[in-house]
Amino acid sequence: MIEAEGLSKSFEGRPAIAGLTFRVPEGQTCALLGPNGAGKTTTVRVLLGLLQPSAGRARVADCELPASDAVGARLRAQAGLLTEAPGCYDRMSGRENLELFGRLYGLDGAALRTGVEHWLRRLELWEARDRAFGTWSKGMKQRLALIRAVLHQPRVLFLDEPTAGLDPAGAREVRDLIAEFRREGRTILLCTHNLSEAEALADLVGILRQRLLAFGSPASLRAAPTGLVVQLAGQPDRVAEGLRALPVVRQCAQHGDGLQLILEDVRRDTPGVVREIVRQGGEVLAVRPAGDSLEEVYLRAVREDPA
Amino acid sequence: MNRAVLGLFLRKELRDVRSNRQLWPAYLLLPAVAVGLPVLLLGLLPLLADPVQAARDPGIAILIESVSHDAGLSGATLAERIARLVLRDFGMFYLLIGVVLASSAAALALVREKEQRTLEPILATPLRDRDLLLAKLVAAVVPALVVAWGSLLAGSLAGALAGRWRTGAWILPTAGNWVAWLLLAPALASVAALIALRASARFTDVPGATQFTGLVVVPLALVLVVLLGRPAMASPAVGGLGALGVSLLALALFAGNLRRFRREEILTRWR
Repeated sequence: MIEAEGLSKSFEGRPAIAGLTFRVPEGQTCALLGPNGAGKTTTVRVLLGLLQPSAGRARVADCELPASDAVGARLRAQAGLLTEAPGCYDRMSGRENLELFGRLYGLDGAALRTGVEHWLRRLELWEARDRAFGTWSKGMKQRLALIRAVLHQPRVLFLDEPTAGLDPAGAREVRDLIAEFRREGRTILLCTHNLSEAEALADLVGILRQRLLAFGSPASLRAAPTGLVVQLAGQPDRVAEGLRALPVVRQCAQHGDGLQLILEDVRRDTPGVVREIVRQGGEVLAVRPAGDSLEEVYLRAVREDPA
Repeated sequence: MNRAVLGLFLRKELRDVRSNRQLWPAYLLLPAVAVGLPVLLLGLLPLLADPVQAARDPGIAILIESVSHDAGLSGATLAERIARLVLRDFGMFYLLIGVVLASSAAALALVREKEQRTLEPILATPLRDRDLLLAKLVAAVVPALVVAWGSLLAGSLAGALAGRWRTGAWILPTAGNWVAWLLLAPALASVAALIALRASARFTDVPGATQFTGLVVVPLALVLVVLLGRPAMASPAVGGLGALGVSLLALALFAGNLRRFRREEILTRWR
């Protein structure tokens, strides 16, 4: 579980994060969204005990923050971190990198060897295991860094931009892996710019810009549908004209061969509007409710924030 | 103290030295000088012990005068006394090897991790501050001492052979030499490495840390080497006391480094 209460961090008087209060229950995935410099990495570092909070408190994997060196070590033993840059040693092979970090996390002997082999094979890095890390492709490096973060079976995972700079196939692979960690019941804090990634992977989404502008499940953040998207087989302009005359239609915009309508009450007015379209000779191919996408929620929150 | 972690970092640093050819010159040049220079100086012995040359060269005259009055030098002939002086004073060079190599390695210890962006993953492991600092210190000092002690064994052997060739006598290291090399050298190397390690934590670029070490740490350590090395070479008791004092200084510096060690500062501070 990750819990933050009024968590703030300033650098030389300049706030990086301010008053963050949120809770990620055990086994859930939370995506932190925010523009560059919003404080996502600072949040991760504070929650991992690498930075001392300027104010507020937090609790991660049963460890209270701010933490002493000993409590910090206990917290870090239960947490895995994927940094934005892979951060492995270029001159060491992939396997040597994993063995080094595995030992620092307290793994040894057969458990370490089998764990390293299991993950290298699973992420299709086994063939390259003895090549110097510096010669690997970006996608391979990112996958190795991900292995390093999970090798010691942490309860909590902090993933900072896990798919940044990866090609679509590589990004997909990493996302599938994160989904698997989620199914395994790990608590995950995922920092990302990728809204569809957040929507697909997260139980909770936080929109961050120094302050937490919004926090909740993706569904709760998206506003209830306020309109309809109707796809027609040709001639939407004639139908649009008639619909605009209806009192329940607040707005009617034409997009190609479709119409985007904003209604007074979507649930109540949809059947009547569809009947009207058919009555006017429109051939309806599809009708779906339209609400704010997570992208719209995010953009609005960031735009409306006075900071 | 986590011995496994110490071994881990030591192996990592050794691997780095082995695979980084830029570091090789420092690790090869100093031992080469340690072996070659005493042989060269003893090769010049007939010139240095020649009264005719002393009459022409005031430097040689001063050398002959000083060996005549140095009670710590025994020897049947003037040449033998000069040879003993050369080898005794050259012994300080082995102290210097440890200081230079240990401080150079320590200067890179943290800042290179920052540059490679490996520091944050290291700091994110359960490693305690004390273990990390100790591991970095050991990884800097041990290879430096291995090179220094290897050089002194080879250099002492070469010096003994060259002394035998030029004077007919075996000129072997004194008890003072051994005390200085075995006790004072690790203490001096540790002090230099601890100051360089502190600089490494504060700097964000490798050139800055190495320049600071080259311009500030090494000259300061050199002063200590000269101040303590010569008396230590002359007297084992002085050498032992000097080693104890420098070891205490190293302990105090380690405690100070540990107290000032802030993961936050290392991750976010820009100089």
